[in-house]
Amino acid sequence: MTTAPTIETERLVLRQPRASDLAAYTAFIMSDRACFVGREHSRFSAWKCFSAEAGHWMLHGYGPWAVTLKGAEETVGQVGVWQPEEFPERELRWLIWDDAEGKGIAYEAALAARDFDYRVHGTRTLVSYISADNARSIRLAERLGAHLDKDAHPLDPNGLVYRHPGPEALS
Amino acid sequence: MNAMALDIPVLETERLRFRMLTMDEYEAECAFYATDRSVGVGGPHTPREVWRTLSFLIGHWVIHGYGMWALEDKATGQYMGRAGFLNPGDWPEPEIGWTLMEHAEGKGLAYEAALAVRRFAYETLGWTTAISLIKADNARSAALAQRLGCTRDGVFHHAIAGEVPVWRHPGPEALA
Repeated sequence: MTTAPTIETERLVLRQPRASDLAAYTAFIMSDRACFVGREHSRFSAWKCFSAEAGHWMLHGYGPWAVTLKGAEETVGQVGVWQPEEFPERELRWLIWDDAEGKGIAYEAALAARDFDYRVHGTRTLVSYISADNARSIRLAERLGAHLDKDAHPLDPNGLVYRHPGPEALS
Repeated sequence: MNAMALDIPVLETERLRFRMLTMDEYEAECAFYATDRSVGVGGPHTPREVWRTLSFLIGHWVIHGYGMWALEDKATGQYMGRAGFLNPGDWPEPEIGWTLMEHAEGKGLAYEAALAVRRFAYETLGWTTAISLIKADNARSAALAQRLGCTRDGVFHHAIAGEVPVWRHPGPEALA
């Protein structure tokens, strides 16, 4: 069983989530900002989500990274690839805390996570499940080259599925 | 790339082997969480919730460096339940917990497991005290807590479960 490897981008470090990241994650996932990604309503359920994301690495060998700016301890979000039991496909997902928005962090982290998954795990295709009301994430998906895939199964009736360009298209 | 392998300690008692929880426990845990036997630990749960529960119990080891072990019958390899440590975000302090599958009940296995877990807490993790949170209607676990020498120590107000009695274990000096 493995934990997350550390990877670096120009401005960011993606690393294993740790106990000290819990407070920022909890603040996000219990806030209105999390309304598109499944808001949690208690610290207990927030903790369960946080730990389950760490457990994803152990169980599957891939999962969400904690994202920090280089040289910083505190996180600015959580980005990675995962597939919870109810997800039809493997998803590239990004969560960015409120005060870190608007700096291209999600784009930079998502590119690195997608590239890592294609290169290291040999994944052939990835989707992002995005609420139809989540305009910012839709814009980011498009910036990442993903397109709306109307044939793919959404997670819920108001959900969209954006399919990312595969490894060949990006090479 | 520097992915770390996380090797959790393997413990053994007379009849049990303690090892990492895996998704191999999914079916047994789904059967457990489908019944009222799981009420004491937050159930009943749907299979989807069981999947998430197993994920977070495994992630617990990554986050805290300690957690719940799977208990396996040494003789047959059968999954008997789990025991170990729980420290979710809103717990008053880390607790010692145990949950047996139905076929494992009535043999003193939870006692055997909890003793080993408590010894690990004091001798390896260096804890100086430990609690167990046991819902008021969970008479079997309360009886086990008493057998382990625990005494009542107030109530924890849990966001979902409501008021949960706190049982305090005897500390390392008292057991020495």
